[in-house]
Amino acid sequence: MMAPALEIKNLTHYYYKGTKNQIAAVENVSLTVEKGETLGIIGHTGSGKSTLISHFNGLLKPDEGEVIVDGKNIFENKETLRQSRFKVGLCFQYPEYQLFEETVYKDIAFGPKNMKLPSEEIDRRVQNAAKLAGVKQELLNKSPFDLSGGEKRRAAIAGVMSMEPEVLVLDEPAAGLDPAGRLDLIKMIRHYRDVTGCTVIIVSHSMEDIARIADRVCVLANAKVAMHGTVKEVYSKGDELRSMGLNVPEITRIMLMLREKGIDVPADIYSPDDAVSAVRNYIEGRRGV
Amino acid sequence: MISEITIGQYYTGDSLLHRMDPRMKFDLTFLLVVFVFACKSFFSLALVAMFTLVAILFSSVPLKMILRSIKPIVIIILFTAVLNIIYTTGGETYFKWRSIEITEKGINTAIFMAVRIILLVVISSLLTYTTTPTSLTDAIERLLSPLSVFHIKVHTLAMMMTLALRFIPTLIEEIDRIMNAQKARGAELETGGLIARSKALVPVFIPLMVSSFRRAYELAFAMTCRCYTGGEGRTRMKQMKLRARDFLALFTVIAVIAGIFVLNHFFEAVI
Repeated sequence: MMAPALEIKNLTHYYYKGTKNQIAAVENVSLTVEKGETLGIIGHTGSGKSTLISHFNGLLKPDEGEVIVDGKNIFENKETLRQSRFKVGLCFQYPEYQLFEETVYKDIAFGPKNMKLPSEEIDRRVQNAAKLAGVKQELLNKSPFDLSGGEKRRAAIAGVMSMEPEVLVLDEPAAGLDPAGRLDLIKMIRHYRDVTGCTVIIVSHSMEDIARIADRVCVLANAKVAMHGTVKEVYSKGDELRSMGLNVPEITRIMLMLREKGIDVPADIYSPDDAVSAVRNYIEGRRGV
Repeated sequence: MISEITIGQYYTGDSLLHRMDPRMKFDLTFLLVVFVFACKSFFSLALVAMFTLVAILFSSVPLKMILRSIKPIVIIILFTAVLNIIYTTGGETYFKWRSIEITEKGINTAIFMAVRIILLVVISSLLTYTTTPTSLTDAIERLLSPLSVFHIKVHTLAMMMTLALRFIPTLIEEIDRIMNAQKARGAELETGGLIARSKALVPVFIPLMVSSFRRAYELAFAMTCRCYTGGEGRTRMKQMKLRARDFLALFTVIAVIAGIFVLNHFFEAVI
């Protein structure tokens, strides 16, 4: 059997450990992400999402539990830890604030350079990542500080993609973008996944964004895994989600309300377009009878 | 973790010293520091030491914290003590080896100097332990306000200092975030020699600079939007008011200073 891309076993992380303010930011979380899968991690602000993902490449060391990447415990020794940085590409929230090089090209090349790859390979990776992230060719020789907000975001994401990680972890990749920008970005990530076949973990509090991309969803609440399952399974429990301060997408809520009224439309609808066709199907179905 | 660094050394509390007017605290600290130098005999120095001890008890700052403030200057104290023992001569000679002579006067002077340095540090750290950096700058602003006669913009300086203090924790958080982001791209910040390490800081400092400037612009804009025009005609949310306890402290300190001179007069001078 193929080893899962990423396995988290009973991970616990405390803040202010050993003081009277000790608090668990992540408590006994277990998680398995298969190769090629897209996992969405959802949670309210302060539910421990960002702390959890900082363990995936060993930036944080768990107080209890294990992080296993590609069958190996990443904290085994220095080398496995270093390799985990490249195997799990972590892209934090507002990644554009990490740009620093003179040109966009050099910035995207920062990761591969740290991997000590030969220069032709670095060049190939930079070009490829720029293409995947939707960074236009003519921007590569510009200063990253001259780019627009959306372009900066893409350049920064390309800087992580260029390491060609087996698992790409994105923390709120669409934060602060307008609705059209959000949609474009999600499409870009979906395209990246389809082309490369990589495992993708996407962290968000936007149920819409997660629904557009994830196969499976993991809901974090109060530092623990509260729900875990396919998008359909999780999103059908609207009441439970609401009690955790989360909301199913508005359009899904309307569908659920219609179902309560006895109108037999599917519940797994997450975009207005799908809703329109579902309702149309329903009406046509009734006419047909 | 880097974010656990504390700024200044304020010790949260609600003691008599904490509640005193920061201006009075500042003035009294200044007076005491000046008059520690007026002490000539062990007895006047002991008086100041006693007073300091009482003040520490009133401040609710644990003795451990006070000792911690002395730690960084232990070397300086030892260094001056050794120099004093060697270079001050007089009185009975205890030990002689070539040109090095250890005498009664030398040892007395060394002890006297050491106690004096410790007192200076403890007294001034008591001020910072019991006063938040912001109220300290407030106090400095008020105390320096006579300088505006010379067209020195005291308010602006104080505001700059307050803002700088305010942004230290924010910037520490920012450094933490940027460091993590670059580490995630394989940057090695904690290994290698001096040159490799300073080179590795470039990817951290450039984004930090950029975001500091961004924050500065945003803050200036926000302040302008709220009609900030500088110090003129500006009232304060926290009015500083001298109360009975402040005058009580003032009289105690004056009494201590008078005591210093009386004791100087009656007892033999060490230096």
